[in-house]
Amino acid sequence: MLAYTVRRVIATIPVMLIVALFVFSLLYIAPGDPAAIIAGDQATPDDVERIRASLGLDRPFLIRFTEWLFRVMQGDLGVSIFTNLPVSHMIKQRLEPTYSLMLLTLIIALTFAIPMGVLAAWKQGTWIDRLVMVFAVLGFSVPVFVVGYVLAYTFALQLDWFPVQGYTPIGTSFTGWLSNLMLPAVALGGAFIALIARITRATMLEVLSQDYVRTAKAKGVGQGAILFVHALKNAAVPIITIIGIGFAGLIGGAVVTESVFAIPGVGRLVVDAILRRDYPVIQGVVLMFSFTYVIVNLIVDLLYTVFDPRIRY
Amino acid sequence: MSTTTLPPNGFTPAPQLADVLPPRKERGRVGMFIVRYPTIAVGGFMVSLFILMAIFAPFLGTVDPTALAPAKRTRPPSGDYWFGSDMLGRDVYSRVLYGARISLIVGFSVAICAASVGLFIGLVSGFIRSVDAIVMRIMDGMMSIPSILLAIAMMALTRASVENVIIAITIADVPRVSRLVRGVVLTLREQPYVEAAIASGTRLPMIIIKHILPNTLAPVLVQATFLCASAMIAEATLSFIGAGTPPIIPSWGNIMAEGRALWQVKPYIVFFPAVFLSITVLSVNLLGDGMRDALDPRMAKRI
Amino acid sequence: MPPLLDVQNLQTHFGTIDGVVRAVEGVSFHINAGETVGVVGESGCGKSVTAMSILRLIQTPPGKILFQGRDLLELSEPEMQAIRGKDISMIFQEPMTSLNPVLTVGRQIGETVVLHEGLSAREAEQRAVEMLTLVGIPAPGRRVREYPHQLSGGMRQRVMIAMALACSPQLLVADEPTTALDVTIQAQILELMRDLKTRVGAAIMLITHDLGVVAEMAQRVIVMYAGRKVEEGTVEEIFLNPLHPYTRGLMGAMPKLGSSLHETGRTKLTEIQGQVPSLRKPIIGCAFASRCPGVTDVCRKIAPAIEQKAPAHWVACHYAERAMAAA
Repeated sequence: MLAYTVRRVIATIPVMLIVALFVFSLLYIAPGDPAAIIAGDQATPDDVERIRASLGLDRPFLIRFTEWLFRVMQGDLGVSIFTNLPVSHMIKQRLEPTYSLMLLTLIIALTFAIPMGVLAAWKQGTWIDRLVMVFAVLGFSVPVFVVGYVLAYTFALQLDWFPVQGYTPIGTSFTGWLSNLMLPAVALGGAFIALIARITRATMLEVLSQDYVRTAKAKGVGQGAILFVHALKNAAVPIITIIGIGFAGLIGGAVVTESVFAIPGVGRLVVDAILRRDYPVIQGVVLMFSFTYVIVNLIVDLLYTVFDPRIRY
Repeated sequence: MSTTTLPPNGFTPAPQLADVLPPRKERGRVGMFIVRYPTIAVGGFMVSLFILMAIFAPFLGTVDPTALAPAKRTRPPSGDYWFGSDMLGRDVYSRVLYGARISLIVGFSVAICAASVGLFIGLVSGFIRSVDAIVMRIMDGMMSIPSILLAIAMMALTRASVENVIIAITIADVPRVSRLVRGVVLTLREQPYVEAAIASGTRLPMIIIKHILPNTLAPVLVQATFLCASAMIAEATLSFIGAGTPPIIPSWGNIMAEGRALWQVKPYIVFFPAVFLSITVLSVNLLGDGMRDALDPRMAKRI
Repeated sequence: MPPLLDVQNLQTHFGTIDGVVRAVEGVSFHINAGETVGVVGESGCGKSVTAMSILRLIQTPPGKILFQGRDLLELSEPEMQAIRGKDISMIFQEPMTSLNPVLTVGRQIGETVVLHEGLSAREAEQRAVEMLTLVGIPAPGRRVREYPHQLSGGMRQRVMIAMALACSPQLLVADEPTTALDVTIQAQILELMRDLKTRVGAAIMLITHDLGVVAEMAQRVIVMYAGRKVEEGTVEEIFLNPLHPYTRGLMGAMPKLGSSLHETGRTKLTEIQGQVPSLRKPIIGCAFASRCPGVTDVCRKIAPAIEQKAPAHWVACHYAERAMAAA
């Protein structure tokens, strides 16, 4: 168990290194002169040179990468071209809204998606099953910002149940936090729910045809316990795997959702940085989110052992 | 899509009749196709409709989608402006119809490019062990970067253009196709007939063309369809947050981005492109679902 | 005294897309309290379907299944759940796949007593340890916390038996309990079942295709063919005086222990020619007609009714008298 954990943790290190290398080398792979592009159309040649130097593009790749990597490992993500503030500082200030949004989305998604998938598998071929499948296709097809606007228009503007936009820190008011995040989380959760419900249904269909489900029924276990104890625990590994993989979509969706609902999170930071061509901020955010994603998938790997006693390397 | 009568518990259902019997003659080919593959038929029909709409946009009662008319800003939908006009007085209906071109071009281009590059990388790393180790590590790393963020970073370093949007989304998608192809190749390599071909000295290109490619194409085709759908969403997302198609070009993401400031008072500017985008993506996804069910019955149950 | 289980005219049919499968076609039999009844036949003859019909693990068929005087087919699902695992329990053929891989052995045994006797989790684990001891698993205190994949096939079947007997059921339905096991393990499991039967006092419905197992375990035998009961009687009657040609065929296909080829000239194994008829079409005449060595036109047209030919012997064959005379 401990060996497995240690091994999984160590295995993430090369992945993180490659992520860092890839994100870093984008500056060098990019066609044209990134310094000129970042400086913008009105920039003087001096501006371009200044930016080139600040990005380190004037020095050899490997030396520059090693230096950069050491600083990243110490939590130094560089300095914003626009505000001159440390990028890590700017990100840190905005982490709470973003992580709050993702956490709430995750909770909502799991609460709805898993029962939906289980129900669809149990009632395979009925209208319930078909309804879930239709929802799943819709969830994949309607972009998150479209869902966001529809929800905001209906539940905030027309019905006035929730605030239209903004964010309340959880430390200030929990109810304020919740009512601010409710619509964004539901909007962001749509595609995630579709993804999880679909894999839950597919896996449950397979599990429900297994012999041990028949055994459970033969000893008098009720339908609910068969579905949610005997079968669901067997379906857990594919489900949590897809949750881990789907987290990338969740991160991407969060960036857009924060824009729709004016939530001052990391996503907004990166969108503002795009408009200002503030590349160090973009790079820092990409790196931060990628590490989050790697760690989420590490947690998924470790959770395997909780759900399936057979996994033990 | 199985609508078999519910199998009794503990028993596997008998194979579906549709899979076993030859198609019946009396219904005619088209009719039979619709009956057997309703999702492909519906999805394919709707996608064709959108393609026709994009091609014939100039003849569908549109005006110049970039023509400014400051005096007629933000008109609600009416006989003159079917979908209303935006804050610069441009006709939203015309912009939405022309916008279909960008979405479809990006969607199809990304699907084709990502599928071809992914197919190549997947085939190579499925066959050459030394390449495999390195390439797949890189792919793992790339897949650890959420694709929209990867595209954002790339767009920030290049000039905004439709081509660069296509390249950025393609690069973000390549690792997934490569992984898929590599997985298929690795399973196929173990097949007795492929091993026999290798053992009897058949040259590698022949093996790939004769045995590997035909078996890889079906899953890649399905995957490419889903990539097309997700690329259309990605283009709209990038344009929406200002990292996509240049603002002068009417794309659905750009129309929505411009309508953003006014969405609380003039929701129709955002509404129409949103509906068109959603229905187009839905059609492509339906097509993909249907093709997956038809091409790979074993996969149909999963995902 | 009425029998413990009285199955009357059971018909289990499945609707599939290419027609109705008549898996069980009008079978009647009974099992008395404490008795072991063997149900024999080839695979696909409706043995397992009959067993699963009794526990209602498949669609409710027409007919009557009286258990302690109550018709199981008329019970509601919750009433049926209260009976499954408590009054009637079942052992399945595949010990490798019949246990849930992600729950501990103790949990799976204990679940039965938690459900039916309202025991707490702690008491249930205690009971699980007792049951594992009873079925002869060494170090039961450690084994209860283990998962099925940590046990061998024989051990898993012992666990299945422990699970089935945890609530001291009146009737144990054992569907090919030893088929998937090694020969040596088979003997151990049969020995265990016989031993436990005397202790728990349960009646056993033993489904098998192995006549040797039946001879060892059962008092009475039911022979099934193509969803029908073709012969029934005490073990002595059936083995010494088989009347149905199918039963005789089964005997011929069974190797006899202790006899060798050169000792007697006629110990050659024989097989039953032909194949089991399709259950998708109604069968006209005797179901065995297509494979019977003594078939006549009558057999092909008229289905024989099951008739009593001796005090403890019933058979469905037009020519049973001829067989009796020959014996």
